[in-house]
Amino acid sequence: MDNRELWELLGMDLEKHDEFLAPIPALATELFFNRPNRPAAMSYFDMVLADVHGIRVKELYEKKQKGAKIFASFCVYVPEEIIVATGSVNIGLCAGAQFPISTGERVLPRNLCPLIKSTMGFKLDRICPYFQVADWVIGETTCDGKKKAWEVLNQYIPTYVLELPHKKEARDYRLWEEVVLEFADFVEKETGVEITEENLQKSIEVINNKRKALKRLADLRKNKPSPIHGLDVLLINQLAFFDDPERFTGQVNQLCDELDERVNKKIGVAPADAPRILLTGTPQPLPAWKIHALIEKAGAVVVGEETCTGERYFRNLTEPAENKEDMLKNIAKRPLQINCACFTPNSGRIEDIVKMTENLQADAVIETNLQFCNPYAIESFSVSKEMEKREIPYLRLETDFSDEDQGQLLTRVEALLEIIRS
Amino acid sequence: MMKIGLDLGSVNTKLVALDGIKIREQKVVSSRYDSVSAGQELLKEWAKTNQDISYDLVVTGYGRVSFPEGKLITEITCQAKGCHGYFPTHEYILDVGGQDAKVIKKNPAGKVINFIMNDKCAAGTGRFLDFILKGLSLTEEELFEAAVAKPVNVNSMCTVFAESEVITLLAKGAKKSEVVAGVFQSTAIRLARFVESMAQPETLIFAGGGAHYNLLVKYLEQELKIPIVIPPDPEITVALGAALLA
Repeated sequence: MDNRELWELLGMDLEKHDEFLAPIPALATELFFNRPNRPAAMSYFDMVLADVHGIRVKELYEKKQKGAKIFASFCVYVPEEIIVATGSVNIGLCAGAQFPISTGERVLPRNLCPLIKSTMGFKLDRICPYFQVADWVIGETTCDGKKKAWEVLNQYIPTYVLELPHKKEARDYRLWEEVVLEFADFVEKETGVEITEENLQKSIEVINNKRKALKRLADLRKNKPSPIHGLDVLLINQLAFFDDPERFTGQVNQLCDELDERVNKKIGVAPADAPRILLTGTPQPLPAWKIHALIEKAGAVVVGEETCTGERYFRNLTEPAENKEDMLKNIAKRPLQINCACFTPNSGRIEDIVKMTENLQADAVIETNLQFCNPYAIESFSVSKEMEKREIPYLRLETDFSDEDQGQLLTRVEALLEIIRS
Repeated sequence: MMKIGLDLGSVNTKLVALDGIKIREQKVVSSRYDSVSAGQELLKEWAKTNQDISYDLVVTGYGRVSFPEGKLITEITCQAKGCHGYFPTHEYILDVGGQDAKVIKKNPAGKVINFIMNDKCAAGTGRFLDFILKGLSLTEEELFEAAVAKPVNVNSMCTVFAESEVITLLAKGAKKSEVVAGVFQSTAIRLARFVESMAQPETLIFAGGGAHYNLLVKYLEQELKIPIVIPPDPEITVALGAALLA
């Protein structure tokens, strides 16, 4: 079955989808395939990217034919181990393109986070095969925008909403544990597969291994010079949401082996004195590469992402346990260690930024804020004050998924690099 | 050897030529949506009247990325450098240009240590003021009256909404001079909060084309309650800084 047949089977709007995909190959070639000095092991991820709406979607479709369910989510708080334990699949959702936003605005307010509008547009336009192949969307009550958008999305695809607490007190842990247990029941019912000690233990291991591999990759960026561009790591972090976890883990580890060698030979992607940037803020879902591309084109290297398409996704592991009950408890405990701006207070995030800046030897912090994301926009006040106190150069960028603001963004980034270099 | 700074701005393109630290020439022309050509024109003209004089060139402003020659430095670094010669002890600069507004903090050596720029919006920029003022097409007399008029409230800072608000105010019988005063006052309030989002300075340098609007300066001083200083030619300090860095 070729891609077009598959897309047709999934009920996609082929014409619109062609229009959406048209500029992607040229962009991917410019930003990724043609960039010199990339590790050879990037070829796997390039291959996945080059056929991002084909090869993996076909796999999912085939899994579905064999009885698996596809759960689509776009938040690091969704406990994917539970889904994986049943032999079903958890995938991320397309959410980082400008193209479907105007369609999203048919049902959502204009002055809303572009990530939410993009997601909604992808579904309404029927141009995301992952959305089309999915049986369920697993939402969460992180921000107001998402919380209310699920109500609309549910009219187009069944949407299950996890109630995420917004504080981290003992009672919040209790609530979240209850939510996770209920979710486990729901997944069991939907998939018809019982969650057992064995399959849960295995899925915890599989997903932890994925996190460990990504952590290993992140740690390699501590080196001066950095052995890999931030843009390549961003792509890998983005694909982590989509790919088969075991195969993906193997590929990431293979890349890390190659990077170990690069580090030993002191091979870097930029001179050792190139400015090193830590990125913090809102997520950069596929294909939102703009900020990394701008920073690295300007001669700096992104050495870390304190974001959901970075550190927050993989830093915390699920503690193993002896029995099913404790395993589920630990699965619930893990996400509440993640510091997202939808929590209050969220001082842990500022500590994370400071620690990462030190560990990664970053010269400056750039905070990116998707337009109309209130939690992160408000929190940037505290972040900027802390950076000022510590005399860490800091720049806040407000942006969305469009390309039109690149000139303005570049001026800001270059001015920051001039501060670092002066 | 001369030093030339070229600032390719969104509204105007400026050239400053320095002999040592002495300004030999300064020129401002309209960018007409093509600041690169405007800059090349300026440079050609300069070379014509200064034959056989070699020069070092720094190009800045939003058009810099497409300019075929010269060293590139951002307008933020150049602005700090350009203002520093005039006001070495002042720390903060407010720059209101054609398409953006910035607050820059410089150190005693004239180097930038921090800056902020306006978000994705034209509000509070020169373009916004130009747009509204153009729509009102004031006579010299009305402009003069505006200086002493009691400002009406203009709440909206979105260029489109502000325009319709202005139309509504005029339709209700407000005087043009009062509306103009209101536009300047509300812009000044917005810029004051923008400055304060970075710091609470004791003095402020005001540069960029926006500093030419006397009414804006007046309301800004009222709003911030601090003395504001303006360089002799606030529009060319970026080009001057570029020339100094050449």
